[in-house]
Amino acid sequence: MNGDVLLALTIGFPPLAGLLCYALNNKTARRLIVALTAVVLIGSSILLYQGGGFAYEPAPIFETVVLVLDLALLAYFLYAGYKNRSWLVIGLAALQLVPVAYFEFGLGGMAVEPMIVVNDLSLVMSLIISIVGSLIVVYALSYMDEHEHHLHIEQSKQPRFFFFMLLLLGAMHGLVFSNSLYWVYFFWEVTTLCSYELIRHDGTEIAIKNSLTALWMNLLGGVGFVAAIYIGYYFMGSLSIEELTQYSAAPISLLLFATLAFAAFTKSAQFPFNKWLQGAMVAPTPVSALLHSSTMVNAGIFLILRFAPAFRGTSLSYAVVLIGAFTFLITAVLALNERVSKGILAYSTIGNLGLIILCAGINTPLGYAAALTLLIFHSVSKGLLFLCAGVVENRVHTRLIEDWEGLLAKLPTTTIIMVIGMLSMFLPPFGMLIGKWAAIDAISSSPSMGSLLIIMLVLVGSAATTLYYAKWLGHLLVLPQSGKKLGEESLPLPYSISMFSFLSLGIILGAGVSMVLGALVIPAMPAGYINSLTGSLFEVSTGFGSFITYPFWIGAIAIFMIGTYIAKRKGGVVKPPYVSGENVSDNPEAFKTTADTQVPIQVSSLFMDNEFSSTRVLSYGVIAGTLLVMIMFLTVVL
Amino acid sequence: MLSPIIGGILMGIDRKLTARMQSRMGPPLMQPFYDAIKLWGKEPFIASSLQPVLAFGYLGFSVAAFALLAFGQDMLLMIFTMAIADLCLIVAAFNSKSPYSNIGARRELIGMMSYEPVMLLAAISIFFVTGSFMIDSIYVINQPLLTFLPLTFLALIPVLIIDMKKSPFDVSGSGHAHQELVRGIYTEFSGYTLALVELGHWTKVALLLGFASLFWAQNLIIGTVLAFALFFVVLVIDNSYPRLDWKTMIKTTWIVGFLLIIANIAGLIARMVILS
Amino acid sequence: MKTMTKARLKSPWVMHFDCGSCNGCDIEILAALTPKFDVERFGIVNIGDPKQADVLLVTGPANKRNQRVLKNLYDQMPQPKAVIAIGECACSGAIFHNCPNTLGGVDKVIPVDVYVPGCAARPESIVDGVVLALQKLQKVSEGEKVD
Repeated sequence: MNGDVLLALTIGFPPLAGLLCYALNNKTARRLIVALTAVVLIGSSILLYQGGGFAYEPAPIFETVVLVLDLALLAYFLYAGYKNRSWLVIGLAALQLVPVAYFEFGLGGMAVEPMIVVNDLSLVMSLIISIVGSLIVVYALSYMDEHEHHLHIEQSKQPRFFFFMLLLLGAMHGLVFSNSLYWVYFFWEVTTLCSYELIRHDGTEIAIKNSLTALWMNLLGGVGFVAAIYIGYYFMGSLSIEELTQYSAAPISLLLFATLAFAAFTKSAQFPFNKWLQGAMVAPTPVSALLHSSTMVNAGIFLILRFAPAFRGTSLSYAVVLIGAFTFLITAVLALNERVSKGILAYSTIGNLGLIILCAGINTPLGYAAALTLLIFHSVSKGLLFLCAGVVENRVHTRLIEDWEGLLAKLPTTTIIMVIGMLSMFLPPFGMLIGKWAAIDAISSSPSMGSLLIIMLVLVGSAATTLYYAKWLGHLLVLPQSGKKLGEESLPLPYSISMFSFLSLGIILGAGVSMVLGALVIPAMPAGYINSLTGSLFEVSTGFGSFITYPFWIGAIAIFMIGTYIAKRKGGVVKPPYVSGENVSDNPEAFKTTADTQVPIQVSSLFMDNEFSSTRVLSYGVIAGTLLVMIMFLTVVL
Repeated sequence: MLSPIIGGILMGIDRKLTARMQSRMGPPLMQPFYDAIKLWGKEPFIASSLQPVLAFGYLGFSVAAFALLAFGQDMLLMIFTMAIADLCLIVAAFNSKSPYSNIGARRELIGMMSYEPVMLLAAISIFFVTGSFMIDSIYVINQPLLTFLPLTFLALIPVLIIDMKKSPFDVSGSGHAHQELVRGIYTEFSGYTLALVELGHWTKVALLLGFASLFWAQNLIIGTVLAFALFFVVLVIDNSYPRLDWKTMIKTTWIVGFLLIIANIAGLIARMVILS
Repeated sequence: MKTMTKARLKSPWVMHFDCGSCNGCDIEILAALTPKFDVERFGIVNIGDPKQADVLLVTGPANKRNQRVLKNLYDQMPQPKAVIAIGECACSGAIFHNCPNTLGGVDKVIPVDVYVPGCAARPESIVDGVVLALQKLQKVSEGEKVD
């Protein structure tokens, strides 16, 4: 198929499909449209990937279209700020609208050739967006039905919902394929729009409040973009990303990269811009999965990865590392105190994005490869976790993890999938761990003096990660004492398709990590980066160490099979827990107290509220994050 | 495969030496094996159907980690495999709704959080010396690791204390005669599941001491002596200190562990700079 | 299995439960564990968890309040197990045997294998009692089929 047709399909088809969903307020039509979009997107991405990189110059009419849409968008933001009386939004939107209008009309804009460049990095991103994104939208078909049923919503708002979800998929494709900084900026702000509209979807007071926070923080990043456009126009004479990445190390180009990094930090919710992502968790779960873990936040990562070769070896690179590492550690620690499931996942997302950014900042070939590996696997694992959390939430009607105890008995299928998802986040032999392992190798072997500090931040953060996932996991797997059989669980088709696809992806990609490296990671490395992360049938190696893959999987499966066999052979009577002999004979989950009353045995989870106050750590974190960003700009200017 | 047996002998020596330090005779060297065999023959009581599988997982992954050590594989992978083993034990303990088991499991998680970064940092410090994370590259350097990394070697002491469940850091499972938490993380294990867990524990001990012996990898005998010296120091500390709380555990392990290793690495860098 | 029997004899893990004794016998039991008598050399370990214990040492008389707990603990011990009643109170109720709340000796609630008399029972008798219990276990282990 022709490249331009495929491009049109990936960028243009989703928004059109979204408009169709919006126009036809019909459930079956929606399902068909979403399914069709999924097929089209996934097919186009795969075909594009097979075709390899190319450049493309669209018809000039599109430049006008983009300009008109962009101005309309900014005007809409102004209006939204006015309607909600948010001075921040009004101010920031104006701060974008005025310079952009002046740029296009006063200065005449700037032509870029070619407008669209498809390279290996954007192909990897496209695959992630298409596969992960489409599956999440499929999942949303069932989720939103249950969600609206639970909230007793009469007039379905699903048309609007699916319009913005699909619009996002198209916008993300536009973002990764554009070569003009102005177009990237445009698509970037379209994703901001989607995020704003989707967070406020439920229309509750807190949803609106949090959507405004998300809006102004993302607009702040947009201002960074506008600044970058001006710098590119006045000092480098080009807005072509291809050309801009050739400039390196001159202070003014570093300033450009710094503003872009700034924008990336806002989009990927690094400290001090973390608040909006945490607040965005009030949105329906597919929104959290799509925008705020697997797809939209990857836009920030994409930007940094795209420009990383240009600022390799500079102090800006190191500042980026520091911000990523700091974010990773502080979110890991804060997640220890978090009681809301999606809150923990939000912290985990921000932290892992920090880890990826840190690897990109390390900017050695190994670091870059580690960043790409982590990016791919994080999207899959985190998406899966959010999907499962959404199902649980809809069934159990609570988001507190302490209330999710013993879920294995109530919702066995979802719990098992969720447990595997959690394991895939921090244990070998899954891909995230391989990425983290490569990251440790990369940091240890990077030539800068500060790597010791960074490695400590990563190690402690990694330990805290293990803690908060393990305690959640343990809690989920409590089995009922009375030996009741596990409950049955029925999953509607959209759920099972999406969840099982994610699960299979996680396992297959994890087992086939060498193939992932060969097919996706290594081609996406920039020119001049001599890769050292290689994979063969048996192992993945970084040149400093190697990670055996297939033998490990086989060993792990063997251990579980032998264990199950021994359990079956020896059997055993299930006995109630030891509570100093005070068990009640007919109720294994209770014990007798002094007045001969029965009290149910309660075990709670581990939180560290007594040791540190989350709010205090958060405020210190935001202050520290702000300082780090200021330092980043200082290193560039001085 | 022999690792549980080696570990078992080590535990026997442990109990004998501890007893001698307490001016008594102590059990015979083979005692842990008698314990394990007896446990295997008990009527099986389990806490849930998942528990025996996870108990075997603890043993299995500990043996796998030991295999990684024995075959000279990646240190980081070995440490992560140890983490899986520990996790199996922890989830098995969480699996039943028992207060004692639960507290033990939570504390064990905190213990893991304490010693894992220190061990990983020790592996990284070895990487600074050998230029590789693979264990078999330790065998080819011309000088023993101990001459480069004496402080890192000492930093293994708190790690060993936590993992062997000796005071002052036996907050999670406790040894044999302590009853603050009944048996803490081990409370709901009995019969053959406890036997599996015991075997796993021995393997972990053998693994850690094997890792310690790498610090004089050139000569097997001296390496073993080194490991024993570490073992002995841990026993002395065990018999000198009461159990302390988990906050002290984290603080001490991190402060002592990190400071020692960082000082070591700084020393190495200084030496490189001075020599060049 | 010969090895199994040997292992069982060499590793009796003990759990101690006080039904309401004056603590005299309890102190003697703990004294037996101290370095002076050092029962650990026989492999005896004071395990607090019934699920992991082989031998239950009971002191004090059984009464209406603690019979449920005593039965509960006994049931939580897996086979093969032995119960040793230590001290006069546990054996027969001693001077409390006809108090209104006392049921008498521990054998009113759970089967007892060895009776160690004394008030308080001396550590040497206690150790003797454990040895007897082990011999009984050995006969059980070899004579009958054990699962």
